[in-house]
Amino acid sequence: MFQNYEADGLYDEMFESPGCPRAHYAPAAGKLAAMGREAFRRRVRMADVSFRNQGITFTVYSDQRGVEKIFPFDLIPRIVPADEWELLERGLTQRIQALNLFCQDIYHGQRILRERIIPADLIYGAKMFRREMFHVDVPKNIYIHICGTDLIRGQDGKYYVLEDNGRTPSGVSYVLENRAVMKRVFPSIFSEYRVRAIEDYPFNLLQVLRYVAPVHSDDPNIAILTPGIYNSAYFEHSFLARQMGVELVEGRDLVVENGFVYMRTTSGLRRLDVIYRRVDDDFLDPLCFRPDSMLGVPGLMNAYRLGNVALVNAVGTGVGDDKAIYPFVPDMIKFYLGQEAILPNVPTYICARESDLKYTLENLDKLVVKSTNESGGYGMLMGHQATRSERDDFAAKIKADPRNFIAQPVVQLSQCPSLCDDHFEGRRVDLRPYILYGEKVIVMPGGLTRVALRKGSLVVNSSQGGGSKDTWVLESEEE
Amino acid sequence: MSVVPSDMPSLSPTPVQSVSAPVTPKQKSEASKFYVSRPPRPMLARDADSMYWMSRYIERSEHIARILLVNSSLLTDVGDLAPALQMRQWQSVMTIMHQQDLPAEDPSPLEQRVPYFMAFSPENPNSLFNVLTRARENARAIRENISSEMWENLNTLYWSIHADDAQHRFVDSPDDFYRMIMNGSMLFQGLTDQTLAHDQAWNFTQVAKYLERIDVTCRLLETKFSILRAAEVFLETPLRNIHWMAVLRSCCSIESYRRNNIGDMDPLRLASFLLLEKSFPRSVRYSVRLAHEAVSAIRSEVNPRTIDPAERVLGRLDAQLEYAEMAEILEGGMTAYLQKIQADVAEAAIALQKAYFLH
Repeated sequence: MFQNYEADGLYDEMFESPGCPRAHYAPAAGKLAAMGREAFRRRVRMADVSFRNQGITFTVYSDQRGVEKIFPFDLIPRIVPADEWELLERGLTQRIQALNLFCQDIYHGQRILRERIIPADLIYGAKMFRREMFHVDVPKNIYIHICGTDLIRGQDGKYYVLEDNGRTPSGVSYVLENRAVMKRVFPSIFSEYRVRAIEDYPFNLLQVLRYVAPVHSDDPNIAILTPGIYNSAYFEHSFLARQMGVELVEGRDLVVENGFVYMRTTSGLRRLDVIYRRVDDDFLDPLCFRPDSMLGVPGLMNAYRLGNVALVNAVGTGVGDDKAIYPFVPDMIKFYLGQEAILPNVPTYICARESDLKYTLENLDKLVVKSTNESGGYGMLMGHQATRSERDDFAAKIKADPRNFIAQPVVQLSQCPSLCDDHFEGRRVDLRPYILYGEKVIVMPGGLTRVALRKGSLVVNSSQGGGSKDTWVLESEEE
Repeated sequence: MSVVPSDMPSLSPTPVQSVSAPVTPKQKSEASKFYVSRPPRPMLARDADSMYWMSRYIERSEHIARILLVNSSLLTDVGDLAPALQMRQWQSVMTIMHQQDLPAEDPSPLEQRVPYFMAFSPENPNSLFNVLTRARENARAIRENISSEMWENLNTLYWSIHADDAQHRFVDSPDDFYRMIMNGSMLFQGLTDQTLAHDQAWNFTQVAKYLERIDVTCRLLETKFSILRAAEVFLETPLRNIHWMAVLRSCCSIESYRRNNIGDMDPLRLASFLLLEKSFPRSVRYSVRLAHEAVSAIRSEVNPRTIDPAERVLGRLDAQLEYAEMAEILEGGMTAYLQKIQADVAEAAIALQKAYFLH
């Protein structure tokens, strides 16, 4: 199955050199190589049927009506040894702490702007900066309770942070479901390893939600706010509600009265204390943000500002994961924590800067250009793969609104074997671990490994033909 | 979490007057976590709505599949039937499902058109295809309120009619196809009973199931009763019996009826069985009693001291059926009697909606 497997000059997660697996992959590679094609195919079918019958799907909007699809699942696990993970864990913890201090600072004293670490116009020009949050004290001073940070691995094998998702990161339900399916279809490979458990994530998340409950109560009422069953991540909203045993509500289920938020139940109104909202800031409250929003709750922001309800994540965290502010995260870490960043950033050119803009426009064919506020692989240009006219079009867009763009050199993501027809080929992967910030910081030992299923593609987003793998973080050898 | 033991000696001087050890608030709240009888958890009005419709559509899919199954095997039994009678037979299927006419442009024979229209047509709101889609959409909206067994079962059922090969399998053997839907639907109901707590949410599934059952059974009786009574004179006895047996089969009650009325296919007895039988889960009376019980259970949880309109309607109907006599029913006319029941069911459904879904 591994015949003709090539590394193509990339960092390969499984093989050190052709035919020679890395130590932590050796047991898995042995089992996989010994497995016949038909046996492997049978497992692929088992996994597919299991995903479909459980309704583990997402919705793609390619035409008017969305199509429900199975998130393509790749059966070969991504394995991360304990020492690598230890470094990631420290780096991610440091990062979420700095980002939270940054949000707190931006919406209060703005020390970081006054000391000119970050140019003030970048902040005020950020679409996701929320003036409404100025001098609002949020419960326990936590803004980003849940962060999904995208990591990539370069040709040198080093991990880099590609971006932070500090608004409403999704995907964690696939991590948990992938693991469940792997246990079912690959028990033999699973038992070769001591893989760290991730199943306590919903419990940890619930602890975070309880921790920020504004009213002292043994039993706060907690709900997840979803845009509804047609949202692409609805499966996840419902999954988390189920796993935590909390209510799943839509905007129309809620009403604000006298500064408190209530749910409409069969027996009248019930107060709600904590909302894990999976609705963007813009749609949360038509009285405060977009007046045409049908997804939100009129008056919600008022209740929030009064401290009568906790929102998770806080409103306004988009200022922390803005792609033009991302290059400053190492500076934030130094400024707030007095430490050097443990995980490096990818070098980034901020088009809002005159010199960077010039460099970007001159080197479009070597760069990846991204819109600062888009996600899901939309609004980006892969300069080296684009045609001349695509590049020219994009250049015009950048010139029209430089603040909205950043550019990065093309990073050759590491690859991991994936099943292609009847053999294995290398496909590019990234990794999104999930970090929880409540009473303490908890980094889930694992994460979503996304894989670009098209040969040579660097785009791993599910909306762009990406799939996912189970991620195994190994226990350290010592104990 | 660090909990300071409450019996730890405090460093500040203890007030002299505290003779008996008072229960500190901390201790009390720790203990209250373990109360067995917690107050019932309130249910979102929208969730109640979805719970209700999910259950109604599941029940409906079973009736549709069963009626189609029975009808196609009936027509096989009877053999070459006069085209007029065959037409009427298929038309009655449509009438029972509140579907007046077929799309006219289709030239294929009736015995293919009706089953296809009732099974797969996207235009027919009551096709199995649409009914199961809506059942699943409602379930999806309350996925976190139902068990994973229920969801996986419904999802499998949904894919069995949405998968690419569904129509092929239907053409291969309509019988197997109908049976699969019926079994899937009944399995779902069994799972609902065995994996869902029997609380407010479950009661909503029960009232929905029984209201749907009453409605379909009444329409079935109404339609068949008038057709067959009119045809009584023309049909020979064996043929007549086959027809009446088909009615019983459509209500899933042939064995039960036989045990109670050995060898007797009297139309009145049969109608009386389907309407008034006390202990048979498919009879109207039984269904009314259970719908009534479910509504009272919901009401007493939400509003312990009142009677709500849905409960009143169903309670009256329950009492009426309990004391009803066949002779009396025939005096006013069977059709009128059945229509009155359907009107009551509709009234109860609207009352439920007003009381619980539209908050």
